[in-house]
Parts: sequence; C-alpha cells; structure tokens
Amino acid sequence: MLDAMIIGAGPAGLSAAISAAQHGLHVEIVDEYYQPGGRLLGQLHQEPDGEWWNGIEETEKLLEQIESLHITIHCSTSVYDLQKVNKKWVTYTDQGNWESQAVLIATGATESPTPIPGWTLPGVMSIGAAQVLTNVQRIQPGERGVVIGVNVLSFAIARELQLAGVDVAGMLLPPPHLLSKSEGVPQEVLSSLLRFSHLAPSVLMHRGAPFVKGRLAKNLVTAFYPEKGMGVWGIPLQLRRTALEIKGKNQVEGIRVAKVNRKGELRNAITHDIDVDFVCIAGGLSPLAELAAIAGCKFIHEDALGGYVPVHNEKMETAVSGLYVAGNITGIESAKVAISQGTIAGLVIAKSLGARMINGKINEALQEVESRRAAATIQFHPHVISSRESLYKTKKTQ
Amino acid sequence: MSTLIVCRCEEVSLETLQKTAYQYHCSSRELKLRTRAGMGVCGGRSCRMMIEQIATAGDNEKNYETETIPLKYQPPIRPVPFGVWGGLSDE
Amino acid sequence: MNKRIYTHPILENLSTNEEISFSFNSETLSAYKGDTIATALLANQIRTLRYHEESGSPRGIYCNIGHCFECRVTVNDYPGIRACLTLVEEDMVITSGKKLPQPLKHGGEENA
Repeated sequence: MLDAMIIGAGPAGLSAAISAAQHGLHVEIVDEYYQPGGRLLGQLHQEPDGEWWNGIEETEKLLEQIESLHITIHCSTSVYDLQKVNKKWVTYTDQGNWESQAVLIATGATESPTPIPGWTLPGVMSIGAAQVLTNVQRIQPGERGVVIGVNVLSFAIARELQLAGVDVAGMLLPPPHLLSKSEGVPQEVLSSLLRFSHLAPSVLMHRGAPFVKGRLAKNLVTAFYPEKGMGVWGIPLQLRRTALEIKGKNQVEGIRVAKVNRKGELRNAITHDIDVDFVCIAGGLSPLAELAAIAGCKFIHEDALGGYVPVHNEKMETAVSGLYVAGNITGIESAKVAISQGTIAGLVIAKSLGARMINGKINEALQEVESRRAAATIQFHPHVISSRESLYKTKKTQ
Repeated sequence: MSTLIVCRCEEVSLETLQKTAYQYHCSSRELKLRTRAGMGVCGGRSCRMMIEQIATAGDNEKNYETETIPLKYQPPIRPVPFGVWGGLSDE
Repeated sequence: MNKRIYTHPILENLSTNEEISFSFNSETLSAYKGDTIATALLANQIRTLRYHEESGSPRGIYCNIGHCFECRVTVNDYPGIRACLTLVEEDMVITSGKKLPQPLKHGGEENA
C-alpha cells in the first residue's frame, strides 16, 4: 500500500510528490496524459522583467527531483473512480487499482467553452489545444486563424502562436448569446484586459489602465476604442467585432464577423467574412473537480476561483479525511502558485502520516503561496486573494 | 446561420435546451435527462456548466448554497472498456 | 495546412525522432516517433478524425488533452481511443468512426 497516491502530474502534483517523498513517504503519481508536466508544459510567456517563463524547462526542473527521489509516475493512466474502502483509499484506473492512506487530487482545470455556430468543424479547437500543439507538440494549428474570446489566457496564447510563425488574423469577441455572458461585452472585456496591461506593449492599454476605475471612464475608453481594433504585438485586437459563425463544409474555411456596440449588441446586419483555416475558442478555465465530487467533497461556488471548488483550507486539506487538493482544482491561478500549493500538500500529508519536525517547513510553504499569489504576473481574477480568504474562513468555522 | 450546438457529443442545440428549459421550467438535471445534453461519451465535461447556466437563466436568484455541484458526478468518470471490469488489464 | 514548427525564437529546435509508418483508413502514412495519433495525422494534413455517429458531421481534435473525447478513433480494433492522448506506433492500424444507421430513430419510420 502506498502512503499517498497523487492524481495529476502537473506542477501541483509533481511538487507535492517531491515534498512528501523528501519526508520519507512512498508516493506514486498517475496521469492521463502521455508525459508528465500537465499544462505547465505549454506555458511560455515573458515576465515583466523580460525573462521568459518556459514551461518545458520548469517541468524538467521538477522531473529531475522526481527522478532523484525515485518516484514512479504512471502516465497514460486514466482514473475512473476514487473511493474509501475499509479506511483505505482506492484509486481505480484503466491500468489497475492502487491502495493508499492518503490521496491528493491535483487534476487542474478544464476549459469552459463559449460555443459558436460551426464550432464542431475540424480546425476549431480550444485555445489550450492550440497551446499544446504549438509549444509542446510543435505543429501549427493552421496557417491563419482567429482567437475568439479575449481574456488573460487567450492573450498569452495568441502571442505564443505568433512566436511559432502562425498568422493570428485577429482576436474577436464571442457572439452575444446567453452562454457568452460578459465575454461578449466590449466594456467588460476591456476592463478585464486592463488588469494585465503590464503584459501588453501597448500605449493605449498602459495609459488607459488608471482611468478605468469608474463606470463613466470605462464608457469613455470603450467609446474611443478604435473601430478597427488595435494592434497588440501586431495582432488586431478587435473588441467591437464579434464572431457570428464559423464557416466551412468539411473543415474551417472562414469566419463571419459583425460589428457590435459598446454593450456587445449587434449594431446592424452588416457582416463580412475572413478567410481562416483554424479557430481557437477561449472561454476561460474552471477547476476539474469530478474526482473530488465522487470522493465525497463538499463544494463552494466562487466566481473568482473559476467556479465550483472543493471546500478546503490553506493546508490543502478537504473536509474528507485523508483527501487533499492542490493546484488549479482549488481555483484558477498561476503554475507558480500551484507548485507552492503542492509543496504544502506534500508536507501536510507527511505530517499526517507521522513525519516530525515539519511545522516550520509548512509555515514557510504557506508564506510562499501568499507571496507568489500577491506577486503573480498573470492574475486570472482580481478577487482571487479576498475570495481565498473568505473560503478559508468558512473552512475554519466548520 | 447554422445551429448553435451546446453538447457536442449528443448534438443538442441551444435552441432545444432553451425551449425545453422554458417549457418544463426544469432543473439542470431534468434538462439533461430530457435532452440528453451532457450524457454523451465525454461525461458532460465540456457542456455541464452551460447546461446549468441555461437551466438557471430564468431564475432571478442563483442558488449556490447547496454545497454540491448541481449536475451530479458519478463513477466511472471515464468510459471503461469491458476488459478492465473483467480484469483483463491485469494480464 | 498544419506545418511542423522546426525552429522557434524561444524554445529549442524541434528534435525529430525516427520515422515510423502507420495506416489511417487504409492509407499508409508516416510520422515521427513521439507523435500522438492526432499530431501524426495533422502532419499529414488530416484533420477529420471521425464522423458523428448520428448526424455524420466531421470532427477533429477540440481540447487536445483528453477531456472532450471528440478525437476518438479505433486503434488495432480497439474503439474509443483518444487520438490526442495516444502515441502513434509502427504499423498501427487506425480507423475513424462513421455515421451509424439509425433504425430506431423516430420509431423506425425513416427505415420503414
């Protein structure tokens, strides 16, 4: 029997395995993907200091430690159930079952799509799919495409596509319908964009940022937003254009575009078509919580964390004994935060199984999460910190 | 314009879902059962949030206080080949 | 066109492994070891991995990380294999799912 089974070989799972094994625990990792690293692998962006955050290199750093600690990672292994049987956890997979005293669920996030007519055509993919293709598998998603959905993730990946020589013909808003919500409203998108204006080499965004606090100012900025969009790294960012429909017979051939007003309403029926051979849909991320749900966790809905998150405390303990969570399943944040959360989880599991003299390290790791969260280059949601505080308060009073 | 598909696995459209939600004033679970949206091979991983959104669109107050995810997850959360149930994977 | 990215301004150059051959819908194709079925087919300019069982609409990869199951193909007679998660192997026989007959749809009237 294992001391701990770790589900997910992304940044949180790998770092948890490292800190747990460093304290004598026998841990193994399962992951559905064919190589470890999770979605850290595809990450590639420039920090404000000019340094590149290269997910492949960051993964290699973690894997070196995994190797030196002789931790087994079972790749290409899908977990289909997780149950407590006779006080032991059983992780059921398509490659066999494992028993363990503790389980860490570090399954990360899933993309929540914003559907668009025609989005089932080959050549339409999630923005994350394009990131993996481009940066990990090194094949272009197409020759020329558009990104639908303007948010921190799509912004970063559009840049990555461009670096890989792909022609990004534009970033557009999703069509206004029930499911696109505020993602289809130029005003709302603009104000969320300005939160990461430090990442964009654009005068308007730098200068615009301080003025967007009030509703009136926001109206003004959107009113003056150029009709044709503006270039960010040479990619037309078109906040007043919506993608109405993806066209094509057997695969993507083009996209039909219409003008919208500041509120995201279709202004008139004038449309035009853009020739593209691929389309990326960027709807945002939400915690992938299915295993936590079947294992009996309670949930809380927090917009700032990306949706339903399993109730947990800052030590990564859930309300279910022996069950821990770390990384994006606890809320959408950067890989750096996920790595620190994993370290905490590994230490806390080690402590629960008898490791001694470990409290100092746990406190250090707790502080590291807080400082990394505060310094995050990419803050997925402006209320992550306050939302976390209120969540952890709830957990304490239980 | 072509139809807006919400559930890709079962090809259920936004129009069908909205009409059903309006006609039966149903919960996300009932909406799923009536339309098959979210019941395909992916287990609703892609569309469950949209189904929930459509089901609650008519309500003025969203009820997030339930402590559970509205559309229940049930094992197996991945399609399991018969061979695995029969123990063939141990060979 | 889906071209391989051999050189990159930030990342290391693409190091390609040995070439292998496999078949997709009876056509013999080649790819590099380390390709997934999905990327192997993309490199051969094949995007359609299956046709929807009921409507026959063409489907390719959507999420590329195993969540959406849109890319499932039949590999060496095993159905339901996700092309985005499965590495291509020498002599692999891959076939795509096709539109199925719907004898019971609408009470069978279409086939009456």
